[in-house]
Amino acid sequence: MIRKTVVLVGAGALLAGTLAACGQSGSGTSTTAFDPKTCQGGTLKVLNQKDITHLDPARIYTSGGGNIPSLLFRTLTTRNREAGAAGAKVVPDLATDTGTPSDNAKTWTYHLRAGVKFEDGTAITSQDVKYGIERSFSPDLPGGAAYLRDWLVGAKNYAGPYKGDAKSRDLAAIETPNTTTIVFHLNSPHGDFPYLATATQFAPVPKAKDTGVDYEKHPVSSGPYKIKSYQKNKSLVLERNTNWSRKVDPERLACPDVVDVTSGLNPDVINQRLAAGSGDDANAVTTDTDLGPAQLSQLNSNPELAKRVAKGNFPYTYYLTYDTTKAPFDKPQVREAFSYAVNRNSVINAVGGSSLAYPATTFLPAQKSMGYQAYDYFPAGKSGNPAKAKQLLAQAGYPHGLTVTLAHNNAAADPSGPEVATALQDALKKAGITVKLSTVDSNSFYDQLNNPKTQPQLAVAGWGADWPSGGPFLIPLFDGRQIIPSGGNFNTAMVNDKAVNAEIDKINGITDPAQAAKAWGALDASMGKQAWYVPLYHGKNLALFGKNVKNAWVSDWTGVYDVSQVSVK
Amino acid sequence: MARYLLKRVLGALVVLLVLSAVVYLIFYALPGNPAQLVCGPKTCQADQLHRIEVGLGLDQPIWLQYWHFLVGIVAGRTYSGGPEVIHCAAPCLGYSYQTGEPVTGLLLDRLPVSLSLIVGGFVIWVTVGVALGVLSALRRGRAVDRIATGLTLAGNSTPVFLVGLLLLIVFCVYLRWLPFPGYQALTVNPLLWAQNLILPWVALSVVSAAVYTRLTRTSMLETLSEDHIRTFRAYGLPERRVIGRHALRGALTPLITIGTIDLATSLTGTTLTESLFGLPGLGQLLVSSVRNIDLPVVVGVTLLAGAVIVVANAAADVLYSVADRRVALA
Repeated sequence: MIRKTVVLVGAGALLAGTLAACGQSGSGTSTTAFDPKTCQGGTLKVLNQKDITHLDPARIYTSGGGNIPSLLFRTLTTRNREAGAAGAKVVPDLATDTGTPSDNAKTWTYHLRAGVKFEDGTAITSQDVKYGIERSFSPDLPGGAAYLRDWLVGAKNYAGPYKGDAKSRDLAAIETPNTTTIVFHLNSPHGDFPYLATATQFAPVPKAKDTGVDYEKHPVSSGPYKIKSYQKNKSLVLERNTNWSRKVDPERLACPDVVDVTSGLNPDVINQRLAAGSGDDANAVTTDTDLGPAQLSQLNSNPELAKRVAKGNFPYTYYLTYDTTKAPFDKPQVREAFSYAVNRNSVINAVGGSSLAYPATTFLPAQKSMGYQAYDYFPAGKSGNPAKAKQLLAQAGYPHGLTVTLAHNNAAADPSGPEVATALQDALKKAGITVKLSTVDSNSFYDQLNNPKTQPQLAVAGWGADWPSGGPFLIPLFDGRQIIPSGGNFNTAMVNDKAVNAEIDKINGITDPAQAAKAWGALDASMGKQAWYVPLYHGKNLALFGKNVKNAWVSDWTGVYDVSQVSVK
Repeated sequence: MARYLLKRVLGALVVLLVLSAVVYLIFYALPGNPAQLVCGPKTCQADQLHRIEVGLGLDQPIWLQYWHFLVGIVAGRTYSGGPEVIHCAAPCLGYSYQTGEPVTGLLLDRLPVSLSLIVGGFVIWVTVGVALGVLSALRRGRAVDRIATGLTLAGNSTPVFLVGLLLLIVFCVYLRWLPFPGYQALTVNPLLWAQNLILPWVALSVVSAAVYTRLTRTSMLETLSEDHIRTFRAYGLPERRVIGRHALRGALTPLITIGTIDLATSLTGTTLTESLFGLPGLGQLLVSSVRNIDLPVVVGVTLLAGAVIVVANAAADVLYSVADRRVALA
């Protein structure tokens, strides 16, 4: 899950008028049509607020949203590099296919492509892939997703290859019968394993070059670029990896000769530079900054600027959550009343308006790969239905309304922050629900929310896709066996329904993505009737790109343009 | 003099020790668990979290962590770093929880950026501020004085991010005289270094020069009305010498106080300017470390800032005695 903060900087809004003319200045847009055969050359500039959290593949969270890691690290499988829904497909990367399941999807076998090499020319072997996964279990290299720990046989207490005797250093659930074959043994069926194999933990790491925590100073590349220079929080310059070619990598185009990443920039300045596009900034993109209010306000009046906005929907749902085992939310009518009473319009306005969000009545976002099925069982319209909510509350034994406490964090313009909380408070008041607000420090907000002992009565939370499938979206929030009393619990509704758990197990065993998506969609549609959560909105992503940047399309997987596909020539 | 220095050094050490202990205590009062943030964007489960806490030494009692920190400064420390143990040589300020880098390295990396920003800015704002202040005092009540006072007020009341944004728009977008700033090392290319820093220097100066103008004006007016100035004038000393050598020197004392404190506090107090102009300085490091509950870095930056303030105060004392011979070091 990637938590996103919609940053609307007041200064930018203040200067919107002043900046309005800026988008029209700068050098002319390149007019040559994009051709993948001749797109090589030039330097792509990446203007970012933050440096990449880690350059060690073991320490990077699921690669779904990550653009830069994919330029350095190839994994067993990867996302399909196509625009829209086709981009949510998983395709082979280092492997020859997306994996062969056996033993009811509890065993997955991969074979490596011929001719794949590290940046130093050494052949990539299945042992390198296994070692990359093993080291991600080391407590010295935290940060990756916990799926491997949960899914692989006997991995729960495995602590990586650095300490202990030879036996305890080996992760027996992964076998490498020869240098090109790797076999994974899972403790239960997981049809989504090919999606998990896109994570950077599946990138090969040569054991001889592993320097532990220092490895990220110069990780060994298996992708189209290698590191030329790296200054943390300042710059990262990537140059071509001469031991990579399109012949062994059908997915990445790798058009620019050099990728020059600058981090530590102010979001207003990034958007201003991309809009103005003067000099080298015409060849610039950003991988972490949404469109600012100054540019947002010009999209209708400045067609040139509007053409340079990549619009995407990273699968993400924001919802109101409560514990359904505790009063008053143990009564279905109360949960339904809340679903009717919310004003999704005012919530969306609180997070920046309809350009940045769209209303949610389903838990799954509107993406085909997620298995989206439209439903709206408690039609609240755009601004809520307080009359219906009052009626339901009366049926539930609260004819005079009720009082609840909504916890929010103290981060401005945050989906779980004070603006959204106030919008909800106003809407629920019309239905006779008095909402008391309680502020929690943003550093500990999720610690409190995800611990059943400290979980607030009511809160707004968000959930994003680790990969575009219904599984990682629905399982952590609805599977009763995933309730964790000691903290780290995402099933904040405390749902533990036998039928739902059984259906999840059934779908986990489906290895055909299309069939699985259909089943996830049907499960979402059936669970929606229980109002275990109140979906509020799904996020939208808008990002500017420079005037000379071509082929900047957006897929349903990442919600942003793909740096491995853009060209500046 | 030796006794004076010894006294100051011992005093400084006590101040820094108390400062580090207070930061440790405050840190433990903060909500949130740093291991949780290290663990990744999804909340970690208890067993995995415990392994990370042990790795970071967060499972130990606070006094023991603090003791290890103090020992590290004197004798260095060792850390688990994967296949091999990493040794952090003295003075070791610890390892960042978030980035896994030694704090000393992080500070040394950021220090040149902050120094470039504040020293350059300081020279401009003091020169402009003092010059305008002297001019105002000498032309008291006239147009020059009124204009200088007006500019002072405007500069002082404008937030630095607004001045910065306007400078960027004017010089980088409309006039295109300068590139959008980013830090370039002085040692690599001095010209590019200055070209990239000129706008941040000006932005800081517009806001900060005001105080110096007002202070210089007031001090100058006060000194000019003193008996010894009247006596110098009566003896027929040239006006330039009366102003430059005697009046300005007398007015310097309050400027030294505020100047040294300004210089020292700016080291970590220019976060907005750093952020706006994309300068990875100590201010940005401190803010991000506090946000990420990265205690070793917070303590490191605080100690560095504290040490600089202590040194600046000592420097101010020495400068007083140079500026005003009536002040003696004791």
